[in-house]
Amino acid sequence: MNRFQYLALLAACLVLTLPLEIVIGARVWRSPARLARALLPPLVIFGAWDFAATAAHQWSFNRAYSTSLRLPPGVPFEELLFFVAVPICALLTLEAVRILRTRRG
Amino acid sequence: MLHAYPFWSAVAALAVVGFELVWARTGVFRDSSYWIAMVIVFAFMIPVDGWMSKTSAPIVVYNPAHVSGLRFPWDIPVEEFVYAFALVTLTIVLWERAAPAEAR
Repeated sequence: MNRFQYLALLAACLVLTLPLEIVIGARVWRSPARLARALLPPLVIFGAWDFAATAAHQWSFNRAYSTSLRLPPGVPFEELLFFVAVPICALLTLEAVRILRTRRG
Repeated sequence: MLHAYPFWSAVAALAVVGFELVWARTGVFRDSSYWIAMVIVFAFMIPVDGWMSKTSAPIVVYNPAHVSGLRFPWDIPVEEFVYAFALVTLTIVLWERAAPAEAR
């Protein structure tokens, strides 16, 4: 189960922020086109950086805690999910903050 | 390149700030909700990244030649907060730019 640690961590971030969408009404998941426009450029830019840095041995991913689905030069596919999950959580946070501040007048 | 991670993190952060101020101009830096959200994001980043980078059992392993060597809190490389600022701010700026016209 340790191999799924990274994946589980990312999944937990998305699950634990679901109330921001469903209860507070952030409308991030429900704006898929807008969400895609926000997610894709950072995914490409930071993803490319990640591949380059991994290839240059600036960092690496512990095989004990990531699945064996690796993209050359050794980037686990979970890392790409990182660039989806973290930005989504950040956007949910931003929209939830705005909604809550508006409600309080 | 020595200390590549802090160097490129700083470049990324400056580039994102420049992108917002010069090109995108969404006004997020004048929006207190953005700053509140960033504080919350960093607050959650600490336990999550702390778990990922803990040297006892790291998910991500940093080459000592390419990090500043400063780790705080716990084993989080301090430059990681600069990286996170760049990633999250870019996402938010693009989200704002993609807002429906009537909401801007």
